[in-house]
Amino acid sequence: MSSTEQGTSSAAPAEPTTAPESAAAPEVPESFYYVHGKDKVVHKVSAGALQHSALIHGMISNLGYTEEQAKANPFPFENIDGDILQMVVDWCNQHKGKPTPPEDTNLPKQKEKLFDLVLAVNYLEIKELLTYCCKQVAMMVKGKSPEEIREIWMIPTDAEDEAAEKEAKKRAGKEAAGETAAAAGDAK
Amino acid sequence: MPIRLLSLTSEDLQYALNCMEIDELIAFSLCSKRTKNLVKDSNIQIEPIYAKVYENYIRLEIMPSNLRGVQDDPDPLFIYLDFSNPYITLERKNGMEVWRKEGFTQSDWIAHFLNISNEPIIRELMINGCCPIPYLDTVKRIIPKFQELHITEDCSTELTEIAFRKLIPNAEKLQVDKDPFDNDIHISQFLKPNLTSVCLSSWGHPCKLELDDLLLANSSFISISLANITEKDLNRFVKIWTKSNHRFYRPEHIEMSARNEINRAELLRGIKYQTVDNSHLLKRADGKELEIFVLTNFVAFKFK
Repeated sequence: MSSTEQGTSSAAPAEPTTAPESAAAPEVPESFYYVHGKDKVVHKVSAGALQHSALIHGMISNLGYTEEQAKANPFPFENIDGDILQMVVDWCNQHKGKPTPPEDTNLPKQKEKLFDLVLAVNYLEIKELLTYCCKQVAMMVKGKSPEEIREIWMIPTDAEDEAAEKEAKKRAGKEAAGETAAAAGDAK
Repeated sequence: MPIRLLSLTSEDLQYALNCMEIDELIAFSLCSKRTKNLVKDSNIQIEPIYAKVYENYIRLEIMPSNLRGVQDDPDPLFIYLDFSNPYITLERKNGMEVWRKEGFTQSDWIAHFLNISNEPIIRELMINGCCPIPYLDTVKRIIPKFQELHITEDCSTELTEIAFRKLIPNAEKLQVDKDPFDNDIHISQFLKPNLTSVCLSSWGHPCKLELDDLLLANSSFISISLANITEKDLNRFVKIWTKSNHRFYRPEHIEMSARNEINRAELLRGIKYQTVDNSHLLKRADGKELEIFVLTNFVAFKFK
């Protein structure tokens, strides 16, 4: 058994690895995929790192790309800003093949990016990172009063909510009326 | 830099709410009707709310459930409602904070806390000895419904009686710690209301209990400690119950602790019963059963 493992290990690319790891698991050439965000900057990410994303993992499993095909067809995420995608890729790389710790201190500290990060992570279905991000979101209001929370999270007042609701109804009514008029015009 | 939280997906919002401590959830719930409903729908796991009445304020105790698993949740959160002002004071990690909400009265605060915690009523209203009698009406107005009325040992006879009279119609359960129950405040009045549970404690001075007190009792569960009742009265009580075929008797369980040893033979004298395990079983003609359990200083009657 152990001789087979050693044999496989020696057949692997000559990448230097630590002795205990090479003895424990045979090395398999890692496959890489490519992703880009709104800024079209392509990031090369290993399949292991991308396993964190249920969305990308599902895409990889379904496509069965070769490395060349993957390089030629980076996964486009046009709805994600480049710097946000970079953060996600970095996080996936840092946590590749590792159990996710209960606390993550490596998360970006910029609050202005947090909201976009949550949206991106939710879209990419990276559950652990989403949990950390939401925790970070919750931390923003630690010890804050209702008025401070309203400000930080831009929560509309009841009056603003009611006005927005009225406006939405009005708009929906206008759209419906417009559609009816257009349909009547077509019929003529 | 602010972020527009309510634009997050409901799943993300739920994650964020799950990470928030109980006082922050309350603060968030007070921002608008929408945030209140979000907190309510998130089914935050908290223990039932307890209210204690002091000299000129009510202290609410809101305890997050262990199931929440939020590391820094306070244990528990204390919120103070002033009788004469519509604001609340919270004991938070950074110290005391005063919160106001336009149009909110004290009862609106209570209703809000119950609403977001999906609790129908306050679990226990505790009246302390320092509660001024004139404020009892205010207490009743602020907390119109609660499960258990608890009158503590340090309440005067007058406060005990008035608190009981005014507040018991709003309660389902009663606990009175009074030492002693005596002629000024006789135990019988506490046994008559139709409640699910009555617990009377008078550990220093056993309270005098008579046959009529037991016959007129009207709560499902009654616990008295310590009770001063003779075995002869208990024996007559059992015999009367046995003969009262088809007569409704509301109590389902009565238990009493006594200072002196209970004479089992005396209690069961002239009564036909079967002994099953450690209890004695009686059956009356209409099929109803009574199980009597006697220990050295304790007797329990279970009506089936």
